[in-house]
Amino acid sequence: MNGPKIYFVIPVLGGIPITQTAVSSFVVMLILCTAGILLGRNLKKRPGRAQVLTEKLVGMLYDLVENTMGKHNSYWTPYIGALFLSSIFGSLIGMTGVLRSTTSDLSTTLTWALMTSFICWGCTIKNFGLLKFLKGYVNPMNIISDVAQPVSMAFRHFGNIMGGGVLMSLLYSALASVSVILIGLVKTNGIVCACAVMLIGAGLLVWGLKKKKAVRGALGGIFILLGIASILEYLGVFTGVPVLTLGIPGVLSLYFDIFSGLVQALVFSLLTMVYVGNACPPPQDKKVE
Amino acid sequence: MTGFESIVGIDPWTALFTFLNMLITFAILAKFLFKPIKKMIDDRQKEIDDKFEAAEKAKSDAEALKGEYEAKLEGAKDERDRIVRDAVVRATKREEEILAEAREGANAIREKAHADIEQEKKKALNEVKNEISSISIGIAEKVCEKEIDEKKHRELVLDFINKMGEAS
Repeated sequence: MNGPKIYFVIPVLGGIPITQTAVSSFVVMLILCTAGILLGRNLKKRPGRAQVLTEKLVGMLYDLVENTMGKHNSYWTPYIGALFLSSIFGSLIGMTGVLRSTTSDLSTTLTWALMTSFICWGCTIKNFGLLKFLKGYVNPMNIISDVAQPVSMAFRHFGNIMGGGVLMSLLYSALASVSVILIGLVKTNGIVCACAVMLIGAGLLVWGLKKKKAVRGALGGIFILLGIASILEYLGVFTGVPVLTLGIPGVLSLYFDIFSGLVQALVFSLLTMVYVGNACPPPQDKKVE
Repeated sequence: MTGFESIVGIDPWTALFTFLNMLITFAILAKFLFKPIKKMIDDRQKEIDDKFEAAEKAKSDAEALKGEYEAKLEGAKDERDRIVRDAVVRATKREEEILAEAREGANAIREKAHADIEQEKKKALNEVKNEISSISIGIAEKVCEKEIDEKKHRELVLDFINKMGEAS
């Protein structure tokens, strides 16, 4: 398992490497900006379908921010929304197979986490005054907490997406080797065995469809594919077809890529909201202990 | 030069690109998506609120007008009753007046009739008296065959008749 690939290096300023992450991040930005401009155009008092959906989603983001940070911090929604959407799309873009998830690179998540931290510090100075901000470091433990905060945020997001990616690639290779072994096993027992496996598969599939049991049907499908692959192997058309990687990883991908990506985006945004919200108290609490 | 970054590594240039991309995404989404949509939602909400408020106001106005008209209607009913009552009273009074006038007129006519009758009666009586006295004088002349003092005689006869009238 490698880190992001470096496509090329621009030979200025000691070499600027253009990595997969940079490209993905650029693509995500393009997608989000294009979608944003297209959806934010031609707004009407009597909305069409697209506008209703957009308004619903934007309204949900506003509600989320107002519930977490308070009504007075509603103006933070565009930033939180941009962060949330960048995170989601950054994670999901890894599923295209061409681009790598931006969030499985520590450079990205740490940058975002540091942005959150700097915003917090800036807001604290703005709302409580520089003196109060510096007074906070009388207790040196606060320095550690200020360092730990972005690091933990960055590693949490990075680790989850990266771990999911690692698990998925491990699963792919494991399933590929298992399928090679299974096909070899069937092949050594002759074409009759392959046909038998296919028939058993067909039987299971029909049984599963009749009783409406998805697991039996899926198992039947796998058996049929295994049988076909074995026959092809026997005839010498293809060798080592990783039949098991068809379908099975998709189930786990639902969790590791989609669910994990959404949850981590939500967690990252929520943490940002909480930290920034603490630095921006309601107007009447300013300058007060 | 191509290769791979380390798996848990930070590349400052990538970080910079990410930072810039984030800023651009934020700026564009804020300008073109979040703010217009938020404005649209708020505007619509405000419009709805205004409309509801106007509707409430119109309703309360209508209620007030209704109350006013009902009060007016009640007043008109009272007025009507009063007018009818007055008219009845006036009519009754007028009726009595007319009746009284009629009665008076009738009385006057009757009295006048009485007086006339009395006068006629008196006149007739006098005529009868005169007639009787003339006849008596004629008879007496025939009886006495001589002219007596007409004037004296008439007085005598009339006196006699009057006494007879009193006696009868």
